Amino acid sequence: MKCGNGIEARQVNELFINIDPIQAGGRLTGDAIKAVIAYGDGYSVCDNCRKPNRLDCIAKPPIAEFHKDVAAWLNMDTARVMPGARRGFQAVAHTYVNKGDPVLLTSLSHYTEFLAVEGAQGVACEIPADNRHIVTPEATAVKIEEIRKKYGKDPVLALIDHVDYQFGNLHDVDGIAKVAHQYDIPVLCNGAYTVGTMPVDGKALGVDFVVGSGHKSMASPAPSGVLATTAERETEIFRTTAIEGDVTGRKFGIKEPELMGCTLMGATLVGMMASFPHVKERVKHFDRELQNNRIVLEALLSIEGTKILSEYPRKHTLTRVDTTGSFDRVAETHKKKGFYFSSALTDKGIFGLIPGATRIWKFNTYGMTEKQARYLAESFVAVARENGLTVAP
Amino acid sequence: MGGYNIPVGDPLSKRAVDLIFSATFMLTDLRMILRETAPAHELDERQRTEAARLLENLERQVGSLKQEMLK
Repeated sequence: MKCGNGIEARQVNELFINIDPIQAGGRLTGDAIKAVIAYGDGYSVCDNCRKPNRLDCIAKPPIAEFHKDVAAWLNMDTARVMPGARRGFQAVAHTYVNKGDPVLLTSLSHYTEFLAVEGAQGVACEIPADNRHIVTPEATAVKIEEIRKKYGKDPVLALIDHVDYQFGNLHDVDGIAKVAHQYDIPVLCNGAYTVGTMPVDGKALGVDFVVGSGHKSMASPAPSGVLATTAERETEIFRTTAIEGDVTGRKFGIKEPELMGCTLMGATLVGMMASFPHVKERVKHFDRELQNNRIVLEALLSIEGTKILSEYPRKHTLTRVDTTGSFDRVAETHKKKGFYFSSALTDKGIFGLIPGATRIWKFNTYGMTEKQARYLAESFVAVARENGLTVAP
Repeated sequence: MGGYNIPVGDPLSKRAVDLIFSATFMLTDLRMILRETAPAHELDERQRTEAARLLENLERQVGSLKQEMLK
């Protein structure tokens, strides 16, 4: 079925259980789909934009209220919607980092955090994760001292992942922020995998910025995200324009340069707003998500040779596994080689595994029903049995 | 308004638009049932009841829409 010239209507989430690690938390709610249908036209949220002509001030649809609600929900003082978490990193890096400034990242940081530092001409300094793949406050303190010695100055910013994209491990952002603040380093918590999937309290984490991803974890269309901050940092990151044209003398009101004025001006924002009540509710039930994840992991661990590389027991549903000792052994002799695995899962109605992957791979159980989790667990075991692997009873 | 023969501002045309949105939203609710039951789409009692209610309402909406747009 086509939805445009050469564009196949995407039916992945209707026909399959989607375990793609980056897609699980961004699947739209029914209300978001309805909002996208109603607000798909370009500047659709701008019908009632009045002075002071800024996105976060629009009352109808209730965009201004949404901004306040998001800030309160994250227990921060103010928030803006952004075209993805990466634009949040970029805005913060552009505000605080100058050429040659050291910036704290981690050995598990997302590439967009590096690019944000690069764009501001900063120097990437990674806090190494330990052998459990966890970034600790102790390692942070050691790294800051190293940077002091090497560069003769402190890092100007720390970008710390709440849950990292590689292992889905939960890091001690609170402890890391305490260390960083001893050196007056502002801290950005990258909540791309947590804001919208599990409770996030910016003040409790003690951070200066919380960044979330709409399309990754807030059941929103791409590209969307949030950048929330404290009253102390608000005037720095969300400073208003001061530029003036030398011929026309034009000024641009209260537009915010780091946001390039208005950010999400249509279906992305309204989709995010429509999902928000559901998102606020679902984060309260993250324990159910972990239960579903456990059902699947117990099944995988029953297959001889399978290892969980993420911290265990799990604190997040994004999980990295090593099946070199199980599913990859089958690939050695299978006529489809490594592609047999994703192919067998597709036949069972499961989508999201990288075709050919049989060694180290990631998946995410977020948002599935318990019935779907049990089906997924049974499917992994069935594929193992069908291919002669040993499964514990 | 093209070939629909519905003059702009006619309250009946607004009704047709409302019916289209309402029907599309009902289809979306049905779509969500398909999502939460993928891949086998075996509906439990609650989902079956909800799907039946939505389909019944949808038929009514489409009937009204037919009357509005083809009169």
